Amino acid sequence: MTHKYTPRNMKKRKNPPVKKSPPCALLVFLIVIGGMIATFCGIGALVLFVSSFESTTTPTTATLDLAYSPEKDALMQDLIARFHKANYQTPSGLPMRINATRMDAADMVDAARAGRFTAISPDSSLWLAQIDAGRQRALVGEAARFAVTPIVIAMWSDVAQSLGYPQKQIGWQNLLAKAKSDPNFKWSHPSTSSASGLLATLAVFYAGANKTRGLTEEDVKNRAVLDYVSALEKTVRYYGEGEQATIDQVLKRGRSYLDAFVVSERLVIYFNSKSPQKLVAIYPVEGTLWQDHPLALLEQPGLTDEQRLTFRRFRDFLLSPEIQKVILQAGYRPVDLNLRLDEPVSPIKLSNGVDPAQPQTTLQMPSAAIIEIVQAAWHLTKRPANIYLVADTSGSMGEQDKLTQAIDALDTFLDQVQGEHDRVGLVPFASRVYNVIALQEIGTHRAMLKAQVRAFKASGQTALLDAVAYAYDDLQRRNDRERINAIVVMTDGIENASSIKLNQLVDKIKRGNASGVPVVIFCIGYGSDADWNVLNTLAEATGGFARRADPETIRKLYKILSTYF
Amino acid sequence: MNKTRLIFFTFILLALLIIGVSFVIQQLSGNIPNPTAQPIQLRVVAALPIEPWVQDAAQKFNAEKRSLEGRTIVVNVTPMDSVTALGKWDRGEFNPVPTVWIPDSRYLVELVNATYSAKLGRDVFLTDGEYRARPLVTSLFSWGIYKSRAETLEKKFGKDNINWKTIHDAAIARGGWPELGGEKAWGYFKLIVPNPRKNAAGLLAMVAAAGEYYDKTTITTEDVTNPQFQKWLKELMGAVTDFSSLSSYTVEDLALFGYSVGDGGQLLESDLLVNMSGIQTRWADPLVIVYPKYLTWFDFPFTIWMGAETSAIEKNAALQFQKFLLSAPIQSAAAARGFRPANTEVSIAGADSLFVKWKDYGAKTFVPSTARMRAPDRDTLQTLLRWFDLNVAK
Repeated sequence: MTHKYTPRNMKKRKNPPVKKSPPCALLVFLIVIGGMIATFCGIGALVLFVSSFESTTTPTTATLDLAYSPEKDALMQDLIARFHKANYQTPSGLPMRINATRMDAADMVDAARAGRFTAISPDSSLWLAQIDAGRQRALVGEAARFAVTPIVIAMWSDVAQSLGYPQKQIGWQNLLAKAKSDPNFKWSHPSTSSASGLLATLAVFYAGANKTRGLTEEDVKNRAVLDYVSALEKTVRYYGEGEQATIDQVLKRGRSYLDAFVVSERLVIYFNSKSPQKLVAIYPVEGTLWQDHPLALLEQPGLTDEQRLTFRRFRDFLLSPEIQKVILQAGYRPVDLNLRLDEPVSPIKLSNGVDPAQPQTTLQMPSAAIIEIVQAAWHLTKRPANIYLVADTSGSMGEQDKLTQAIDALDTFLDQVQGEHDRVGLVPFASRVYNVIALQEIGTHRAMLKAQVRAFKASGQTALLDAVAYAYDDLQRRNDRERINAIVVMTDGIENASSIKLNQLVDKIKRGNASGVPVVIFCIGYGSDADWNVLNTLAEATGGFARRADPETIRKLYKILSTYF
Repeated sequence: MNKTRLIFFTFILLALLIIGVSFVIQQLSGNIPNPTAQPIQLRVVAALPIEPWVQDAAQKFNAEKRSLEGRTIVVNVTPMDSVTALGKWDRGEFNPVPTVWIPDSRYLVELVNATYSAKLGRDVFLTDGEYRARPLVTSLFSWGIYKSRAETLEKKFGKDNINWKTIHDAAIARGGWPELGGEKAWGYFKLIVPNPRKNAAGLLAMVAAAGEYYDKTTITTEDVTNPQFQKWLKELMGAVTDFSSLSSYTVEDLALFGYSVGDGGQLLESDLLVNMSGIQTRWADPLVIVYPKYLTWFDFPFTIWMGAETSAIEKNAALQFQKFLLSAPIQSAAAARGFRPANTEVSIAGADSLFVKWKDYGAKTFVPSTARMRAPDRDTLQTLLRWFDLNVAK
């Protein structure tokens, strides 16, 4: 453009040469024009510089980093998609966005304190109190609940009838008495890292203290109470990673998996909508608790006004009549009291196994300090485990540092095994099983296990199935029903050296789990060439899981597994 | 090029230069505040019960784009419990300092004045003159109890005999509701009291309980440190289901979680009235309202911060907003939220009044009792809070 508008060009295009013009005037003219153009360019460059500087330092979206509890995964995904579709913007024009992460409530407390999120939505506001416990300045800021659902004991209707339902009001005491008296009765509650698991544990402590309110620190530390809790927790079949995981397992395995389990009312509705076999929600006569699903802003250092606006916009969005109706349709009780629970779209009705007039009463919620003691005590009283670590040391594990990673994972795992209760054994394998260390209580031989793990060398083929069969047979031979029996498999490869076939092993496991002690298998796969068909088949046959060996899984392996123990 | 053309092009280019420079200056000046064009920002901190009404009013006020000396007035409302705000005033933690504070009660203003009088030798909120604290609306404590439970209590303790003493007796019934004549499924008697660390109403509920315990309207530090009273109060508080809940505002709990969380409690009349309808849609059992013998009134005073942080124009802008809040339409909106308007032109006896709508459930437009609980001094309140922290919250 500059070239286009120079006087020289203009002269060429439009004017004939003017010989009469004095050369010095032309020179002055060119200098003046050149100076002006330079000034223009300079100012223009300055403006561009300033604006480009602003664009690199100013955020382009007002994003809220949100963690939410896993059991409302589908609902939150749906709601966040709707929120994004609405294209809300801050007054300064920034698009409002939610960057959401699924996380269990107990981990959320740690992550919030570590500054990882600007907002959270756990399953209960009791976790908010734990975040702020012991802090000088509150981290939890504005908060509002957007959905509630009571925690219930889900039972097959004939199981409930066998306990006297519906003529008799039943509750925790009936469930616990049944679990103590009937060795074939299979019940479950999630670990204390979710509200429903925490409630079930509190209910057991209340029952042990023979109270329905006023649980004190002395109560939860009382030897007789702890013995009662310990005896009952030994009757728990599985704990699982959360109530959604439990429901998914029951859907997959049917009624033989469990007779009763603790979940939210919403999941009973969900289950009954998916299964021809129906559950009923028992609202315990001694009282229950509510999940109240808060959305809370975290006053992290650096929280921007735009993020605060996004939080408020999202909160108002969740509380809007339209979204409250979506929440009701998903089986939660909406906080908008204008919405009746007997609306035509409401699934909260007797025909779905739930009762909108319940619950009648709740257990008293102890202080955050007592809850922390209950959580700690639960880890000590819950059912101990026999764990076989089945470790692949075949030649392929030597590639891409896989063996080093597996050694580190096992080392971390052995460090994390708590107390003296759990027994751990080691079954290394390559072309065959070798140097087995039999099950022993961890307190007595942790150092020996760690030393052997550190000495692993990669060589040979992969007799994965033989190694699993070895560990499985040993657990069945021991027939230890007092403990949860588990096998943790760490492998990278494709099975190529075993004498037993996959279908034979699966048959053996199914028969053994039905007639002998139930054994749960967890598989951790290294590298891209792990045979996921084999790993998934083994895990699914026992109610365990198969996962990739990502750093998060490894870091939390014991914690994840311990929710199953 | 001849001289005429030279001058012509020079003029054109100078004109372009002026336009360009003006444009650039205009672009850059968008980021430079111009004090004369800035709106007057009113920062209003409002107590939790009244905040939704004030927030709505502020939106209407802002939409009207009212101005003072050519500057638009913009009102920003922040909800904050009065006990929390009291702590922030005491510690000087407000940054920026609010222009206006609307606490639950006038006595909280007096407590802040007492603190600042000691520091500055003068009041920071005025009690007379143009900028004095003025009540916006009033409300009072009343018992809200599920009807089935209230009838059972009246059978047990006698008609019109729901008070802190009989509630205490219900709270300590070891056998729970069956012992009181109620159903087993109701569990034990569950009392609703807001957490006094989160809601001033919780603190005032303890003061009201002390009033009925001693049968007097003025409570002192000696009264609340009496071991017998403390034992009695601890037994009473033992019937509260959850002090750790998210909600510091417990009528919402009563409506949302129903009788499963609370059979009843002494709560703000306005909150009860607003939630009566919702409770009936969610729970089969309606709520009834019972007025206590000693009344605890809340007057929600509009108080302007008189410190150096508030300029003269901000004070006058605050007065404009105060006038707006006291106007008949906005006071009517307050009445629709269950408050008793300060503007006497606005009646609560009309057919659409919540007081009339719920009169069959105990609501009254006129409260006959004249015995009013007097506000305790700071030491008494602090003693109660410390007792709560050590004996209940723990």
